[in-house]
Amino acid sequence: MAASFLFSQFMGGLTTAMFLFLIASGLSLVFGIMRVINFAHGSFYMLGAYLAWQGVQWFHPTGAGFWAASLFAACAVGALGAVVERLFFRSLYGRDELYQLLFTYALVLILGDAAKYLWGTDQLSVSTPPILTGSVQIFGATEPLYNLFITVLGPLIAFGGWLVLNRSGVGRLVRAAQMDREMLDALGANVGTIYTGMFVFSSFLAGLSGALVTPIQSIVPGMDVLIIVQAFIVVVIGGMGSFWGTFWGSVIYGEVLSFGILIFPGFSLFSVFALMAVILIVRPWGLFGRPL
Amino acid sequence: MTSETTTTDPAVAAAAAAPTGRVIGTGSSLVSRIPWTLIVFLIACSVPWVGGRYNTFLAEQIAIDALFAVSLNLLLGTTGLVSFGHVAYFGVGAYVCGILMKTYSVPFIIAFPASGLGAALFALVSGYFCVRLIKLYFAMLTLAFSQIIWAIAYKWNDVTGGDQGLPEIPFPNFDWLNHVPWLGDLKTSDQFYLLTVVLIAVSLAIIHRIVRSPFGRVLTTIRDNPERAAFIGVNVKLYQLAAFVVAGTFAGLAGALYGIFSRGVFADYVFWSKSAEVMIMTILGGMNYFWGPPIGAFALVWLNQEITDYTQYWPFFLGAILLLLLFGFPGGILGGIDQLWRRLRRARRA
Amino acid sequence: MRLQHCLGLALTVAVSAPLAAQAEDTIKIGFPIPLSGPTAVYGEPILKGAQMAVQEINAAGGVLGKKLELLPRDSKANADEAVRLSRELIIKDNVDFLLGTLTSAEAPAVSTVAKENKIVFMTPSSKSTILTDAQHIHPYIFRLASNTDVEGLAGAEDMAKFTNVKTIVTIAPDYAYGRDSIAAFIKALKDKAPNMQVVDSQWPKLGEPDFTAFINAMMSKKPDAVYCSLFAGDFVTFVKQATPLGLFKAIDNRMIDGGEVGTPDEAQALGADYPYGIIANAYDPVIWSGGNEPPEHKKFIEDLKKFTNAKYASGWSIQGYVMVEALAQGIKKAGDTKSDDVSKAMAGMTFDTPVGQRSFSEKSHETFAPEYTGVMVKDPDYPFAIIKDPTPMPTDFHPSN
Repeated sequence: MAASFLFSQFMGGLTTAMFLFLIASGLSLVFGIMRVINFAHGSFYMLGAYLAWQGVQWFHPTGAGFWAASLFAACAVGALGAVVERLFFRSLYGRDELYQLLFTYALVLILGDAAKYLWGTDQLSVSTPPILTGSVQIFGATEPLYNLFITVLGPLIAFGGWLVLNRSGVGRLVRAAQMDREMLDALGANVGTIYTGMFVFSSFLAGLSGALVTPIQSIVPGMDVLIIVQAFIVVVIGGMGSFWGTFWGSVIYGEVLSFGILIFPGFSLFSVFALMAVILIVRPWGLFGRPL
Repeated sequence: MTSETTTTDPAVAAAAAAPTGRVIGTGSSLVSRIPWTLIVFLIACSVPWVGGRYNTFLAEQIAIDALFAVSLNLLLGTTGLVSFGHVAYFGVGAYVCGILMKTYSVPFIIAFPASGLGAALFALVSGYFCVRLIKLYFAMLTLAFSQIIWAIAYKWNDVTGGDQGLPEIPFPNFDWLNHVPWLGDLKTSDQFYLLTVVLIAVSLAIIHRIVRSPFGRVLTTIRDNPERAAFIGVNVKLYQLAAFVVAGTFAGLAGALYGIFSRGVFADYVFWSKSAEVMIMTILGGMNYFWGPPIGAFALVWLNQEITDYTQYWPFFLGAILLLLLFGFPGGILGGIDQLWRRLRRARRA
Repeated sequence: MRLQHCLGLALTVAVSAPLAAQAEDTIKIGFPIPLSGPTAVYGEPILKGAQMAVQEINAAGGVLGKKLELLPRDSKANADEAVRLSRELIIKDNVDFLLGTLTSAEAPAVSTVAKENKIVFMTPSSKSTILTDAQHIHPYIFRLASNTDVEGLAGAEDMAKFTNVKTIVTIAPDYAYGRDSIAAFIKALKDKAPNMQVVDSQWPKLGEPDFTAFINAMMSKKPDAVYCSLFAGDFVTFVKQATPLGLFKAIDNRMIDGGEVGTPDEAQALGADYPYGIIANAYDPVIWSGGNEPPEHKKFIEDLKKFTNAKYASGWSIQGYVMVEALAQGIKKAGDTKSDDVSKAMAGMTFDTPVGQRSFSEKSHETFAPEYTGVMVKDPDYPFAIIKDPTPMPTDFHPSN
């Protein structure tokens, strides 16, 4: 019993971790390149969830059509990201980080109320896509197929993201923009387009993770503020701006949470913030990041 | 504070010589000789007699928010430190005062300074770590510390009351006022309001002295150019830490008053979004001006009560106000007026 | 225009702002309730129920010839906001009474405001015992829901009916309501089924998005049954994560939930994903299977559907509706709107509800309100789970005061 239980606890932690990674990777990406902490990332995630629900209602109210709805939600949130970046964010790049923080906070307030206005305050729920409803037995532990899917998708996106950033022409430009914006600008590369592209991709990831979370969580007002705090912690632990750092940060957070409730049940809240503070004090750039 | 030792500091001369570039507060016409702060103070004191119960309630909220926002501005506007967790010190002050007065029946005259001291101690410890970090990391660590305080307040049921908070904090004892004409007949809540106004006026006067002192000028120099400040021999981190502790202390005092005013202390006082709110207040008024945060506090409390009468979508309006501020009037209300005034003067000269 | 000018001007405006004219012919009722955040899903329908009652009463001529006026405010389910709003409602809007708040975090805090301002305050759904225990009771607090002792007793009675259960695991949100609820259940279980044992308790926080670790920990104890106090969005999330992990299969659906998850609100949210076969409860089952629906209830639901313009009514609206009705009866009995008189009139008062008579205890100002409980089943007429033969529980309750 003990071994299979520990294994299922480990897998549970991993699922949590991969969900967090999907969300936090976008946050980390925007921070790494634009040096902006985007409080509204959680709001994008929430919009993704609501739009996925809306998509399912439109495409196939009985619950199928989940994949189309998720893609629709992710793209719609990505498009919103483009609008936000082009219309507002652009003019804040040169300004003090205080204004950028407050701008993203303004988005949190506005998008939160917009979602409330559009979808009301009812809790909404989306069924698991039929193909992934079952579960399998691994080492005596029951593992839901949908969780397995997320656990595989996480590393795939991490690896894909790493490939694009480190092995492609676009990635080289992005990394260059991260290091020295002015120089790249002077060399004739279109930094503005790169920034827009990264912001859209980050929003897309937020929307996608919001959509993908709907089969296993209820959609309720306030989910934006809940998730952003967790995503922050993950990004801080792993290292702001580091893609693999965020990945490992998620794994640490997920497993600490999963096993933490066994060791000290009253745990979580305090320890998680304390861990965040300790890491900021000892290694502000995170466990896997590099100093700025 | 440390002003005695810094008068000979080279940084002071540099800072003093730097042009402020502001119109408000300079000038020498008749209007500037009228003691406006005294008048505002007297108006504030008269509210219980002329304004009624609700206006007293609003005025007290504005006064406490004003002190809280001014204490934040000591970091934000004066020293250039973006703290996203200032509410932690407000919360520590509120809890220290609340716990002492409710659980241990300590009189206000001891509980009030104790709350400032408690907040100062926590600011000293957390600030020590925070000021070593730059910019965004500083903001993140202040946020982390404030969330730690929130988690403690939320979970430590036996002491803080947890999610149910600490209601029924007693008013200070005003029996000694009973035989004073005018004041003796007032309701306890009005007597407490007057005490609040006096304490806040004194606090604001002290902060004003600090900002205008040589110590304050060094802080401004650090804000404008930390490298230069370090180059001319200023211990930048030490000064930042001092500012952090002073700001934390006054935030704690504001928190103590707020706990009594709102008849209870709750964990939500310490949640991170409250830090954002006080920051919005500060910027709305204008963080480049000493009187900016109080005006921001006034404007926000007033807008809140006007708008919530008509709609439940107050956060939406707050977000919209913030957008307008960031893209239209980054200098806040006073910055906008300042600009307008300057333009008018230029037009008059031409 | 100078800084000082603005300052002076602004303060003059504030000071001279006229007080809202106080209308003499209306009875104002402050109504702080969560209208945003995760618990708004219950706050909204309670408000709707209250609004319907106000409409009905006013259409029939009001109370003592005066019209009722509801002033709803969003308390965000947190104590701080609820207290601030309540004070504002009293000081600014001069409300005569306070109704509302949802959670056991808000209600005790607002109760202290009511005590200080000597104004009657009634709350629809807070169950935490400290709200009205000997230390906190005061003349102005009234509550409509039974406290957690009653909820725990109902759960234990239902649990005792299982013949092959030896070990039980509990899960509840880690705050006042959840802690009180589980403690009461364990206490009652010792009496009702001494052969059963609670072997483990899990405490996720209120609003927990990820229950996987808690569910795994529960299952590792191989319990025969589960007692659960999760509600609202938390319950939906819990179910969606527990089903694929095989929790309901492992305990053969022997789960009892005391958090009103038998309502159509909750059943609709989960649809086909609802764990059919568990035992759940509701203040109002709304859909009354089994055929012995009281006629008043039938009419109430029809009216409610029309009022809210919804296909299926909510199981929470009844709490708002009854709250306003009880207050109106109290005012009538008192003959005026002074809180002191209304408080005296309501202590020990019996009043009608769509689901039968209820009364406020004279001493503790609580209502003994049994909740409608039963097995959640599929019904061909509805696309979601409904309570089979809703039965008022607990049966073995003797008001102790």
